[in-house]
Amino acid sequence: MNKLIGYIVRLLILTAFQIFILNNLQISGYLNPYIYILFIMLLPPKLPKPFVLIISFGLGFIMDIFSDSYGIHTAATVLLGYIRPKVLSLVSVKGGEDLEEIGIKHLRFGRFFTYAITLILIHHFSLFYLEAFRWNEFFDTLIRGFTSGLFSLLIILCIESIRSNSMIK
Amino acid sequence: MRNLFSFLIRHHVFLLFLIMELIALQMVIQTHAYQHSRLSTSAHNLSGGVLKSFQNAKNYLSLKKINNLLSEENSSLKNKNSVLLKRKINPSSYTSSHQYISAKVIKNSFNKRNNYLTINKGSIGGVKNGMGVCSALGVVGIVRDVSPHYSTVMSLLNKKSIISARFSDSNHFGELLWNGKSYEFAQLHSIEKYVPISGGDSLVTNSFSNIFPDGIPIGSVNRFERNESENFYSIEVDLHVDFSDINYVYIIKDPQKFERQELEKKYE
Repeated sequence: MNKLIGYIVRLLILTAFQIFILNNLQISGYLNPYIYILFIMLLPPKLPKPFVLIISFGLGFIMDIFSDSYGIHTAATVLLGYIRPKVLSLVSVKGGEDLEEIGIKHLRFGRFFTYAITLILIHHFSLFYLEAFRWNEFFDTLIRGFTSGLFSLLIILCIESIRSNSMIK
Repeated sequence: MRNLFSFLIRHHVFLLFLIMELIALQMVIQTHAYQHSRLSTSAHNLSGGVLKSFQNAKNYLSLKKINNLLSEENSSLKNKNSVLLKRKINPSSYTSSHQYISAKVIKNSFNKRNNYLTINKGSIGGVKNGMGVCSALGVVGIVRDVSPHYSTVMSLLNKKSIISARFSDSNHFGELLWNGKSYEFAQLHSIEKYVPISGGDSLVTNSFSNIFPDGIPIGSVNRFERNESENFYSIEVDLHVDFSDINYVYIIKDPQKFERQELEKKYE
């Protein structure tokens, strides 16, 4: 029960941070970080896959409502939720079945880094290509996805290292 | 039948994924069909309310700047008013009857590929789909979705936005698009090569599109190129409106719009 409340608090903090701060952060068109996906990335590996998909759909839909983007966040986040177990099996031997939770503490930094950068880039590229919705801006969109993805990765690694440090204490 | 069920059970995760992905893509594609009422916009009362209270807190910090802007606008309007009073207008010769509804921007974005604004006036305030929106400085965009209390505005900074523009001192016109690079510049297309232009020429709206009245400022020519292989200039326009800083806008209402649409429909 405590864990459930912990997850709900995490969801509220991440969505609020995304909607009120990062969505208002207007540095450049090439730096649009989306860190709300950290919530999907940190869901317990043993959670049944249909639940993960439903949560992804809901979270993406909320993001779409608050950023007037009409379905692109939903599509990208559902893809993320579907592909997560496959990426997880890349970084752990038993496909994450042996892990209670995901985090720097459980996966160690190197494997968490691989896990995070793979999922972030998949999500960001699908998001930015759906947003552009045409191929003649291919390279521009590629750069957009890449720079924003690296920016998101930086923020996510910061959040995650603060979180895992405070858990040890 | 049993095979079908076992297939469904074995692949239930993938099927669920497929269904959800199709719903999401359907939403994406629907926006590319022109003007539908959509489910997920910030014109909704719930998200509109949340965003409005956040924007209220933010606006408090920029009150001084808004005051300055309003007083400047006020003085320029007074000037225009005095000029108009001196000139004796024959009402029957001047039939343009546009009305202006003022609204506050409660959400703004300018560095996505497709940008939208949310404003705090909706169908109760008289806003309708397809009306033009401008600020004190110039054109902002076109109303896209309307709820009772809020509307979303498709910003000029959007790949779907096409605005008809003409030079203020001639009647050569082209279409203004945005290439998604910088929020300070837009691109003017379809200006033929024989048209004489120079840097700094100012651009205004024309009334061809039935959205904006004639003569609302848009921007000025920043840079232009004559490409030998093409028939048109490529022109970069420095926009008057600073899209990173919009607080108050006006929605332009044309009571005769319907009459004109009906008349023009005959030839389509």
